[in-house]
Amino acid sequence: MAELTLVDAVTAALDWELGHDESVVVLGEDVGVNGGVFRATNGLQRKHGADRVIDTPLAEAMIAGMAVGMAAEGLKPVAEIQFMGFIYPAVDQLINHAARLRNRTRGRLSCPMVLRAPFGGGIHAPEHHSESTEAMFAHMPGLRVVIPSSPARAYGLLLAAIRDPDPVVFLEPKRIYRLARQEVANDGAALSLDVCYTLREGTDVTLVSWGAMTQETLEAADRLQAEGVSAEVIDVATISPLDIETILESVARTGRLVIVHEAPRNCGVGAEIAALVAEHGIYDLKSPVQRVAGFDTIMPLYRLEMDYLPGVTRILDAVHVTLEG
Amino acid sequence: MKTFLLPDLGEGLPEAEIVNWHVQPGDLVRADAPLVSVETAKAVVEVPSPYSARVIRLHGDAGDFVKTGGPLVDFELEAENGDGSGAAAVNAGDAGTVVGTMPVGETIIVEHAVAGGSGRRSGRLRATPAVRALAKRLDVDIETVAPSGASGQVTSRDVEAAAQTSTATERIVADDEWEALRGLRRAMAQSMIRANAEVCHATVFDDADIDAWEADQDVTLRLLRAICRGVAAEPALNALFDAASMRRKKLLQLDIGIAVDTPAGLIVPVLRDARVATLATRREELQQLKQAASDRRLGRDDLRGAAITLSNFGMLAGRYARVVVVPPGIAILGAGAIRREAVAAGTELAVRRRLPLSLSFDHRCVTGAEACRFLAAAIADLQLQN
Repeated sequence: MAELTLVDAVTAALDWELGHDESVVVLGEDVGVNGGVFRATNGLQRKHGADRVIDTPLAEAMIAGMAVGMAAEGLKPVAEIQFMGFIYPAVDQLINHAARLRNRTRGRLSCPMVLRAPFGGGIHAPEHHSESTEAMFAHMPGLRVVIPSSPARAYGLLLAAIRDPDPVVFLEPKRIYRLARQEVANDGAALSLDVCYTLREGTDVTLVSWGAMTQETLEAADRLQAEGVSAEVIDVATISPLDIETILESVARTGRLVIVHEAPRNCGVGAEIAALVAEHGIYDLKSPVQRVAGFDTIMPLYRLEMDYLPGVTRILDAVHVTLEG
Repeated sequence: MKTFLLPDLGEGLPEAEIVNWHVQPGDLVRADAPLVSVETAKAVVEVPSPYSARVIRLHGDAGDFVKTGGPLVDFELEAENGDGSGAAAVNAGDAGTVVGTMPVGETIIVEHAVAGGSGRRSGRLRATPAVRALAKRLDVDIETVAPSGASGQVTSRDVEAAAQTSTATERIVADDEWEALRGLRRAMAQSMIRANAEVCHATVFDDADIDAWEADQDVTLRLLRAICRGVAAEPALNALFDAASMRRKKLLQLDIGIAVDTPAGLIVPVLRDARVATLATRREELQQLKQAASDRRLGRDDLRGAAITLSNFGMLAGRYARVVVVPPGIAILGAGAIRREAVAAGTELAVRRRLPLSLSFDHRCVTGAEACRFLAAAIADLQLQN
């Protein structure tokens, strides 16, 4: 089996599906000749042709609109937005069309499109290149929002997203695009959408995260183990719709919950998880739910960005607060 | 020797301007360490070294432009023996991003991710964090409490009941050991915690001039009579308050709690149906009530229902105090030690006997004006000769 980075796994999944389903089309700025701003589509145009892997103008609203149209006509477009910071012109197409095509046509049409975008901080990029605004999409009924946190999940979840008959916003944590490798079978096997992935079992506290922050969360779990604290680590993976059952079941065993995300705290997906646990799991809590999140301010430029992103220390501090309860 | 060519920093930019070098000829650099900062159309970015090698030559100075694909640095590789590092170097040269620095690692992830949870159900105890905190405060081991909640959860009532039961068990402790509070002392702790957490206390201080008192006056009876007069003037002080339902219950009969110091702790029996006309005849009954309190012969009903309480702490010491209102009662009158004081009598100084008074009330249910009207009437009565 090949050891792939997360971005390699994205390429491999696209390659597999282009090769096995002729209705799949890849489109976006520089995805063809150039191979993608992060090389996620490297070599795909050469292999599958310029009518399957299409370079588009620098116009995000048009990219999303094309994808909606292709999807309505029976193709399975996988569109790329270069950075989440430039996704906002496409939001109109996502909310007003992609998310509601099935509803609007009483089920006659669906919208089997995927909109991929790298997101998150930590690569010392300039303004607009580092935000995490996943909660905005999670708030929209009709959109599924998927975030992989390892090469294996990038591969399996992207395949599932392409095969799903409804629109998926697929957000790729670029900070960990090339951070590590993992064996990926590249056998076309999809993973389940709409479920959390339990990365580590534990008994004292449940740590819930997604995307690049799973790295710091797992490191915090290691440090806790050295302290004699057994932490369960859950990668949410699909942040909308939420698999709250897995989280509730874990909290029922540990009694403590710390949610880690790099997006700002205010109205973040962590708030929704905390609210659902308050509604359905309050009797299982030994102490108040803690959120470790980005700050409620503009994402700083790169000299300060690591101070903005939650680190292991902040996660450990929050866990220690829950252990006092 | 290897010549490292300036990689495509993205978006097809033809050239980049050297801002400054991070290495000098002769330096040994590690792969991925920064070689040079260059300015592209988007930002200043660092170009990492593709090799772990010695730098031989830099192509250009700060301010010079280097063409994409043009020579940037010459390296002397430590081991140019075809170990495959050349291929790795080519890959590392394409950092895979237009902007910023993409962290690159060679760690192999080994994980055992399970879709969904482990499926194991918990047989664990269920209770809100507040109930768990209550159990901690009352020194109750919550794991041993039988739950009565509809969702199988331990409720605050369950914990309180467990705390009551555990007080029944006696235990001999050495003097320097931590000792669990039991009985009256524990009940006091609980009701004071609750009072402190719930009640919005306001306290008014004043003095009654009792210089005119005849010699045989019973201080407690006079204070009780003063409370009767106060309530007659301001009936709002004779009510119970239930914060949970935001209701108050105005009482027709005046029952007065009387704080009694006993060897076991504080106890507050209730004198029922206090009236100005009959108080003088109830001196004996009052003594019996205090004795019954000391002997712990009173039932729960003997201790309930008073809207207002009298604390005559001045028998021991003290002048004023912020006396504590215990719900559902709404007021407590504290009497300090009687003393002679120099006071202004008209334009002269005079020495008079004075009784200091402290009236605490629950401001959630009683207004300041109501409290002061009550206090004024009580003082007026206390200042009578008999």
